[in-house]
Amino acid sequence: MVANAMPAPRTLPRLLTAAYLWLALALSLPAQTASQAIDVGSGEWDGVVNIDVSVLVPNFREPWNSGQPSGGRGTGFLIGPNRFLTNAHVVSNATRILIRTSNDPRPHPARILHIAHDCDLALIEAENPAPFAKVRQLKLGNIPRLNTEVIAIGYPIGGERISVTRGVVSRIDFNLYSHSGVDSHLSIQVDAAINPGNSGGPVLQDGRVVGVAFQGYSGRVAQNVGYMIPVPVIERFLQDIEDGRYDHYVELAISDFAIENPAQKKALKLPDDDVGVLVASVEPKGCAEGVLKAGDVLLKLDDNAVLNNGLIRIGGELMDMSEVVERKFAGDKLRLEFLRDGKPMKAEVTLERFEPYVRMGEQYNKRPRYLVHAGLVFQPMDRNLMDALQIRDAAATHLFDNYLTEHLYLKRPEPVVLTQVLADEINAYFGPYEQSVVESINGKPIRQLSDVAAALDKPDPKHPDFTVIKLLEKGRPLVLKRQLAAQAHPHILKTYGIEQDRFLGH
Amino acid sequence: MFAQRLLPSAALLTILLGHAAQAQAPIKTSQPGAAPKPAVGTPLMLRPPAAPKPAARSGPTSLLKVNCTYQDPNFQIPWQKENPGQRRGLGSVLSQRRILVTAQLVANATYIELELSDGTLKIPAKVLARDYEANLALLAADSSPEKTEPFFSQLKPIELDEGATIGDMLALWQSGRVGELIVTPLRISKVLVSGYVVSTPPLLVYEAQGIVRSENNSFTLPAVRGDKLAGLLLRYDSKNQVAALLPAPIIAHFLRDVADGNYEGFPTLGVELQNTQDDQWRDYLGLAGRKGGIYVSRVMKGGSAQSLGIKSGDILLSINGHEVDSRGDYRDERYGALNASHLLRGSALIGDEAQVEVLREGKVLRLKGKLTRRQAEDYLVPPYLFEKGPPYLVLGGVVFGQLTESHLMGFNQRSGAVQRLARIAARPEELEREGRRRVVFLSTILPTPSTQGYDQLSGQVVLEVNGRKITRLRDVAEALKSPVDGIHTLKLREFPHLLHLDAKLVEADNLTLQNGPYRISQLQRLD
Repeated sequence: MVANAMPAPRTLPRLLTAAYLWLALALSLPAQTASQAIDVGSGEWDGVVNIDVSVLVPNFREPWNSGQPSGGRGTGFLIGPNRFLTNAHVVSNATRILIRTSNDPRPHPARILHIAHDCDLALIEAENPAPFAKVRQLKLGNIPRLNTEVIAIGYPIGGERISVTRGVVSRIDFNLYSHSGVDSHLSIQVDAAINPGNSGGPVLQDGRVVGVAFQGYSGRVAQNVGYMIPVPVIERFLQDIEDGRYDHYVELAISDFAIENPAQKKALKLPDDDVGVLVASVEPKGCAEGVLKAGDVLLKLDDNAVLNNGLIRIGGELMDMSEVVERKFAGDKLRLEFLRDGKPMKAEVTLERFEPYVRMGEQYNKRPRYLVHAGLVFQPMDRNLMDALQIRDAAATHLFDNYLTEHLYLKRPEPVVLTQVLADEINAYFGPYEQSVVESINGKPIRQLSDVAAALDKPDPKHPDFTVIKLLEKGRPLVLKRQLAAQAHPHILKTYGIEQDRFLGH
Repeated sequence: MFAQRLLPSAALLTILLGHAAQAQAPIKTSQPGAAPKPAVGTPLMLRPPAAPKPAARSGPTSLLKVNCTYQDPNFQIPWQKENPGQRRGLGSVLSQRRILVTAQLVANATYIELELSDGTLKIPAKVLARDYEANLALLAADSSPEKTEPFFSQLKPIELDEGATIGDMLALWQSGRVGELIVTPLRISKVLVSGYVVSTPPLLVYEAQGIVRSENNSFTLPAVRGDKLAGLLLRYDSKNQVAALLPAPIIAHFLRDVADGNYEGFPTLGVELQNTQDDQWRDYLGLAGRKGGIYVSRVMKGGSAQSLGIKSGDILLSINGHEVDSRGDYRDERYGALNASHLLRGSALIGDEAQVEVLREGKVLRLKGKLTRRQAEDYLVPPYLFEKGPPYLVLGGVVFGQLTESHLMGFNQRSGAVQRLARIAARPEELEREGRRRVVFLSTILPTPSTQGYDQLSGQVVLEVNGRKITRLRDVAEALKSPVDGIHTLKLREFPHLLHLDAKLVEADNLTLQNGPYRISQLQRLD
């Protein structure tokens, strides 16, 4: 489920520092009490491994360059034959992954099998499975109860060897996952110290995995607040990839507004039984389009009654109603019961991934796409681009900020930004138009980056000698003489060290 | 970013220039009292070689202190006013005992006092006329003849000198602690068209170099040439030592307009322009063989351009016979290159005939018409609001507001909601097309039983109330007369799009809001 872009009643932990690399500690399997020591030599720890990652951080400012080499460490653990579970953020943008165990001096090269950025989980395998054939695998447990003890195992900062920290389950709640920055799922807060490097490591109770340590607050914001990805989210990931492919979370793609006001209940003809939440808007490209309407009152998702504040009761616990959708997969059905103008209605929708949400979140393992023409650099607008270029143009920021709320994705599924003007005589007057959104080229509306390539090749018959680039909310078009632009193009590429004038995707 | 916005109508200028309602004294004081003061009775006079002689004869007798107590409206709590504050400036005595000051000095005034510069006499004053766009106001004494006579017997009117230009030396007058005249030489280095204090199109400004000291009465300092008034200090940039002066030609325009008893203000052209220096674009526009011309990218409602018949996409070639170059300048006889808007604004009166040449679809057209001014009703979001509190309506805790640029200044945080409203102000076309004349929005929600669940909302634009389209705040009052089945239904432009309020509960809450801790004296102010 993607966090509402509108001010939702729940506050999101915006202060999470993005993608800590934490480590999990290997941990002996039986439940430990404070007095029980663990024998590292026993091999019980071998399933918890240190993951050493070399990374290339994509360069959105010079998208033709390969990016900035960097690196990091995290933790992973064996959950099946040569199957290591870790966080997506540990292995994102990796160029080389090495697995190290506590008792083996050799690094083992590894590769990603599946990576799920929306729930920050990844499954990796060693290139040579042999050394891990006899290593003990960790088993998944359940959702632990509040105030029960857990231990986090991994390779956090503070030393090279495996580390164990201990705490209790503090809270079970729906929370933002900071890796993508837009996805919210169930997560469990623990007060065991969870530090950079713990990421991807197991949190154990009674010898079973009850979560994957993945994020926390900087100590300046909150103390002893660490989060783990709970078993239902892990199991959903493992189930999703059973068919060999990760299909992502699915979305109902509506926004809801709590019904707390007596006048709302009266106007919406609701009985006073705490059931029903207002449908505030329905995404036109989402799966509820044509089924739900703004102003409807959602009563039930499958067999779960939706309460006035948008919560449902699962297994005695109150949870966000999204949890029903969370546990489903692409193509699954969801039964809806709702009130429209006081009349009860029923419907069934087929759940799907909602593409416009993806653009709002941070993306990884993607080579930046771009097109350069006569020194004008065109790039698709997404979170990575907005952040990397610190885009301030009023039309561009409005488009991005209201992409979902005003349904701007309908007109521009992939807005294209003129991000840079590489200075040359041909574009001498274009500098002030950097960061503008491209509205049309040669009369052709630009809905996605590939449209730019096509439109540049085809002059408007009314002005065959010109390339005319219209920008969103700018008072004038940028005009190039085609012949001059064609002459300038190759030497601009050469001057600025650009090998290829475009990368439009695979 | 626009390459050039010769005649901005939007918020840009206000952001740069601050806002009259909140503006500090134009001169930044480091530490009042910390600066060394000249010995009592020793006027500090600087006389560089080129400086004119300080006009000792008429100078002191044309200058008086104007002390203004003001109270700004509170835009967030519109039934209240902000804390009172004080502004102290200088006034220049004109004929018929009128005092010239900037409008900024007396904005939202609750009490205005005239004081002889030596502090010996004080009398109350009132505002005769004011123009916030030109930032000028005329004051007159508001007291009995017994007090007024002796007061003015010590003062002598000053005349205007409209002839100053680039290179001329002016003297800036300030008044010291005991009324001594402090004279600072300034040299006019530039004459241009630039923004004043509210976000309306710019007007003529002299920019002058010189070091201006800070004194108590820093508002509205007169600048003189010889013994005549050449301008008033508009603002001072102490870092670059540049003073912007509100020039005599604009003052003269204001006084001429006031004289006929029917003040109309300065005409507005009402366009957004783009310069055409780019050769490739000139070729595309068919300007290859021509010299100048500026591209009209937008024509606003109610301006002179609209009444002249200028259209978006035209290329403006000349105004009243003056050629307009590719930057939008014409050659002024006195000042040299100057923004052509001056021809139809600073140097023209409303109702004047104007003639422009435009290039449209390859043909030169001659357009004639009368100059107009964008009136308050031409703005979806009025550019300023002074003297009266902002319109509002309280409905059981829901506070409806009617948006002005002043609201947007008042919000410190540029959060999502404020940004959306600021954008509507900058690009009003969509709501205008829907037939809206003002933007009605949820300004705040006070926690009451009838607003339960809505407390977190603010900034949403109200589209409909009880099925009735809202084009301005008055419509809300009207629509609230007819709840359906005891429920008021609000349709909002933004999330959550739909609100319901219990009509009976709202009445009860209104009483509590009036008599309870909030003590809201008036539940509405519609205009």
